[in-house]
Amino acid sequence: MALVGANGAGKSTLLRILATLIIPTSGRAFVGGFDVEREPDCVLGRIGYHTGGDEGFYGRLTGRENLEFFAAMNNCVGTDAYRRIDQVAELMGITEALDRQVRTFSTGMMHRLGLARAFLHAPAVLMLDEPTRSLDPLAAAEFRRFLRNDLVRQHGTTLLFASHTLSEVEELADRVALLDAGRLLACDTQRGLRAATDTATLEQAFERLSQRAGKAAPAEALL
Amino acid sequence: MNLLRTLRKVAAFFWRDLAIARSYRGAFVLEMLEALFGVATFYYLSRFVQSPELSRALPQGGDYFAFALVGFAFFDYLGVSLSAFDTSLEEARQNRTLEALLVTQTSLPLILAGSAVYPFVLMALRTLVYLGWGALLFGFFAHGANWIGALAVLLASILAFAGLGVLSTSYLLLFKRGNPAKWLVLGVSGLVGGMMYPVSVLPHPLQILARLIPVTYSLEGMRAALLGGAPFDQLWPSLVALLIFAAILLPLSFAVFAWALRRTKITGTLTHI
Repeated sequence: MALVGANGAGKSTLLRILATLIIPTSGRAFVGGFDVEREPDCVLGRIGYHTGGDEGFYGRLTGRENLEFFAAMNNCVGTDAYRRIDQVAELMGITEALDRQVRTFSTGMMHRLGLARAFLHAPAVLMLDEPTRSLDPLAAAEFRRFLRNDLVRQHGTTLLFASHTLSEVEELADRVALLDAGRLLACDTQRGLRAATDTATLEQAFERLSQRAGKAAPAEALL
Repeated sequence: MNLLRTLRKVAAFFWRDLAIARSYRGAFVLEMLEALFGVATFYYLSRFVQSPELSRALPQGGDYFAFALVGFAFFDYLGVSLSAFDTSLEEARQNRTLEALLVTQTSLPLILAGSAVYPFVLMALRTLVYLGWGALLFGFFAHGANWIGALAVLLASILAFAGLGVLSTSYLLLFKRGNPAKWLVLGVSGLVGGMMYPVSVLPHPLQILARLIPVTYSLEGMRAALLGGAPFDQLWPSLVALLIFAAILLPLSFAVFAWALRRTKITGTLTHI
């Protein structure tokens, strides 16, 4: 499922609420049937979260040491953890670099390492904020294939991601939620959104929905 | 099961910090040499001010060097207790690992407590090095010391100081930078807690103030155990006072911390620098 909308629409905030980083000031939010405010431990056991940036690692530790540490924080230790680390490293294509200090990683490698960390404990729901933001076009395409084929289809993981890239949304999302200034304008399948707005493309559908909401769709949401 | 998981996580924090420290080669050696300079300074100062009157004014008698060395070595525990939690929070914010940690199955209190283990272990090592330099080069000799009693005083002190540390972290959660309360506690404790001179030399109002802070009881108990070889029945007053501080400060600090954490989660500023 994709979250789309202009800057400030509330995509990242919604993801952060669902990841228990922010407590909603009103209303309630659930992940897998668990209340994010009242049952955060149950929620955290089921999610992986990555912001798409190249940050959040200990630069002087190796990639493997970082992953071992975060695996332990998710109650994954010993041979279980080592096996999972090797698996996800292979999936992300970072096996060769895993024993290097993270401060020597390129932005793309860090991004892959971040995804490996988010997926390390095999979460039922993976939340990604602009998942291909810091990847080059080829790596981004490869990564989208990985998300669609391996993660969603093969592992059955629920993917919830925020994106400004419509081609990415069209490629990955079964359902799309359009946000505007913290409000949900629409949430449906791509076909459903196009049918409801009587348009031929997702871009046109967003434009129509935004106009109905009283404003034109900002360009960055439609790129 | 939960206890085992918690211990494994605490161990993971320790190994993380040890691995990072090891990557800065030479820093540890330099720190231990720095301790030598501190000990040497106290030794020559104590020789300069040595007099029978001064020896009589010290609670356990003896020379001023032993008195100052124990005060200097153990006062640092207060500093570490006040800084360990908020330093770990600040570092995690700065290197942007806080958000990654908060979406794991580890609570923020455990993240902070786990991150404080390495500084406390390092502090214990540094204390041993202080005393070791004193013994090796300057004739410090804890003859007949009650080491078990000293350990009990140390643990009670850490519990009492930890409450102050958690309160300090709550301030940092809410206000992001600086912490005037921490510096006030350290400043007042350094002035009246008896680190460099006995509390008895202070004016009466400051002696009363000294009785209201935990470090006074910590240093009194530590010196009684290490320099006076005091048995447990003489250490009880210090131990009880420290445990009363812990019984008041720990629940209070946890309540304040829980409130501050909720507040920053509502305002969305938990990971802000």
